Amino acid sequence: MELLCCEVDPVRRAVPDANLLYDDRVLQNLLTIEERYLPQCSYFKCVQKDIQPYMRRMVATWMLEVCEEQKCEEEVFPLAMNYLDRFLAGVPTPKTHLQLLGAVCMFLASKLKETIPLTAEKLCIYTDNSIKPQELLEWELVVLGKLKWNLAAVTPHDFIEHILRKLPQPSEKLSLIRKHAQTFIALCATDFKFAMYPPSMIATGSVGAAICGLQQDEDVSSLTGDALVDLLAKITNTDVVGGRHLLG
Amino acid sequence: MAEPSRDAQQIPRGSKACRRLFGPVDSEQLRRDCDALMAGCVQEARERWNFDFVTETPLEGDFAWERVWGLGLPKLYLPPGPRDDLGGGKRPSPSPALLQGTGQEDHLDLSLSCTLMPHAPERPEGSPGAPGTSQGRKRRQTSMTDFYHSKRRLIFSKRKP
Repeated sequence: MELLCCEVDPVRRAVPDANLLYDDRVLQNLLTIEERYLPQCSYFKCVQKDIQPYMRRMVATWMLEVCEEQKCEEEVFPLAMNYLDRFLAGVPTPKTHLQLLGAVCMFLASKLKETIPLTAEKLCIYTDNSIKPQELLEWELVVLGKLKWNLAAVTPHDFIEHILRKLPQPSEKLSLIRKHAQTFIALCATDFKFAMYPPSMIATGSVGAAICGLQQDEDVSSLTGDALVDLLAKITNTDVVGGRHLLG
Repeated sequence: MAEPSRDAQQIPRGSKACRRLFGPVDSEQLRRDCDALMAGCVQEARERWNFDFVTETPLEGDFAWERVWGLGLPKLYLPPGPRDDLGGGKRPSPSPALLQGTGQEDHLDLSLSCTLMPHAPERPEGSPGAPGTSQGRKRRQTSMTDFYHSKRRLIFSKRKP
């Protein structure tokens, strides 16, 4: 008997483009340009007077909750955090503006990545109406100006498929590995410790952590410890020490 | 299944994600900071392009600006008229220069437009990527400066003092 599932995903997606995924030049280009989109400095030391690291974690946690509740695409949250960090690396900001800034960054990232983006009104409700849609739109321009309209940043998600296809993992396990890796990426984005790491390293570490975690559940381990780290390091030219740091 | 829509993704009643993180927000301070940062952006652009984007006046500098006529862009690409649906009224208003186009049905003959071109055909060295003749005038992705015609000025005196 065949079972029909009526819960069709309402979001329409393009099929994976083999030309993008199976060509190593794409991966090489991503590795070349990813550094351009890193925040320019560790801003708690050199730029921000009012904002503390725990406040970044608060706003990041809130942003992740909003993205999850609104079922945003996985890339939206890390991309929004990239905008937030790049803005804060250049503009001293009082903590009372931080939630507005987070909302603006989600607004922009959602518009870039989603077919049906978050609305300004909805985001304002999520701030408990502490900001108005008009303010959100005005600050959108400010943030765009400070980011030089350079929004198509490379995120760890851009590397996931490139890494997965090179791993000797059975294809039925891949979707679970992918899902776990995405969760690790989101967690890394909430933690300032990882804000200055290149996205390829976050992706490599997240895939590695996903595989290690899943292998503990079953005894089928085609790749273990060092072999896994070496293979991952080769794929993205990640230095092994950095990768281990993430895996740990 | 109805057409997919984010609006269907309602905010759940009593969602704990709806919260204020850092106390009350001072709208006045937001406004002041916004204006100051925007002014900084405008100033930066002014220096970058030697063009005053507020008054639409070319300034002295590396770029020579001149008006170009009639590119026949669709109306879509023009800033909207004096429409103020957000009630703010403090947004930077569309420059008057952009609104001088003669209104027709779908298209406007723009009075201003822009392509980036070398100033003169007697360019000293080959400059890859720069269209050489006026036939080569290409329409590019619109940007802030696209409603003016800008050309990089060749200043020989500066090169060999």
